[in-house]
Amino acid sequence: MSEAKSAERSRDILRVLTVACGRSVDQLLEQVADGHADELDSHQADCVHCQAALSELNSLWSPVVEFAKQPVQAPPGLVDNVMDRIYALAQDVWYTLQLSDIGAVKIAARVVGRLARDTARTVPGVRAALGRTSQGRIVQLVEAATRRHRHPHAAVGVLGRTAVVDIAVAVRYGEDVHEVAAEVQQRVIARLRHDVGLQLVNVNVTVDDVVI
Amino acid sequence: MDSPCREEWGLSDYTQDDVYLVNRAQEGYFDAYQELASRYAVRMYRTALRLLSNHEDAQDVAQDASINAWRRLEHFRGQSAYSTWLYRIVTRLALNKLQRDKPVDSLELLPDLPSADDSPPENLERHEVIDAVTDAVAALPIPQRVVVVLHHFEGLSYAEVAAITGSSVPAVRSHLFRARRSLTYTLREWR
Repeated sequence: MSEAKSAERSRDILRVLTVACGRSVDQLLEQVADGHADELDSHQADCVHCQAALSELNSLWSPVVEFAKQPVQAPPGLVDNVMDRIYALAQDVWYTLQLSDIGAVKIAARVVGRLARDTARTVPGVRAALGRTSQGRIVQLVEAATRRHRHPHAAVGVLGRTAVVDIAVAVRYGEDVHEVAAEVQQRVIARLRHDVGLQLVNVNVTVDDVVI
Repeated sequence: MDSPCREEWGLSDYTQDDVYLVNRAQEGYFDAYQELASRYAVRMYRTALRLLSNHEDAQDVAQDASINAWRRLEHFRGQSAYSTWLYRIVTRLALNKLQRDKPVDSLELLPDLPSADDSPPENLERHEVIDAVTDAVAALPIPQRVVVVLHHFEGLSYAEVAAITGSSVPAVRSHLFRARRSLTYTLREWR
């Protein structure tokens, strides 16, 4: 068939509401567009009009199918940008590790939370771990802990070398939950003392899921 | 409708995991939200890109949608899937962008929304067919464009599209009927 005839046939089928047997062009196109062109019902199996229409519509719809298959990648850094903005929006809590006349060295509480999470994930039996610092508790502790020896460079909200960390973990089915939780506590405490220099570390472990 | 896209992207596989992560994110676990943001970044960006036909705008909208979702997370009650809720946010933001920052109060698929056939795609490097489809989709009236993107490109069911757009399944179907006719007619030379 010539291109001109083919184009004319396409225009024809798109100009009418039904094909010769009475079936709706829109419903046939829906069948094609939803990927069911080959799934003929009992009428279509014996109807040359429907079969011709489905074939023609399938061909017409093919550019859209090709388009839909095109992979789309998220722009690099999209999630990082999102999280940076979220962290900026969230009220941050800081641990001050060193105070001197020339300033303070501070580590964001969320960094401590992340270290705790990553460490918890190294414990055998832990399938997933999420770490956070207990902001509300920290604020209360800050006031008590810094009341008597507040340094001029230390802003309110700073808690010296004390950390309270909450970790939620999902434990593999069949593991001794208490043993896994205790191991998480010990490893996290050791990691935060060694890597960050925190002295007083409280680690609360919540086992909130068991996964197979 | 389960299109190949839906299976390929494993939409339903995420549902149960999402509940856990959403609950943790609502409790303040940033890394739970980071996992959710990572999980849905491609879908947010792709939806915005196909609605807006512009990379920079799509990137902005995808980021804003993710941040808006975090801000509103405490109000998410799980009455719909998290993905449906997210699609609603990104679609609304994209439509706001399309309408030049005029606020869209509802996504109700009203027939009198203006056509956006004056916003041609700028990416000249893509294949001609892809460009042609991009043009054809961009030329659709906005309600038709939204349902085509969500149903045919994101693989969402009629019911999910209706939930996202605040419309009904018959209305979604009706817009799809018209959109498919327009697309096939416009693209008849490209098969």
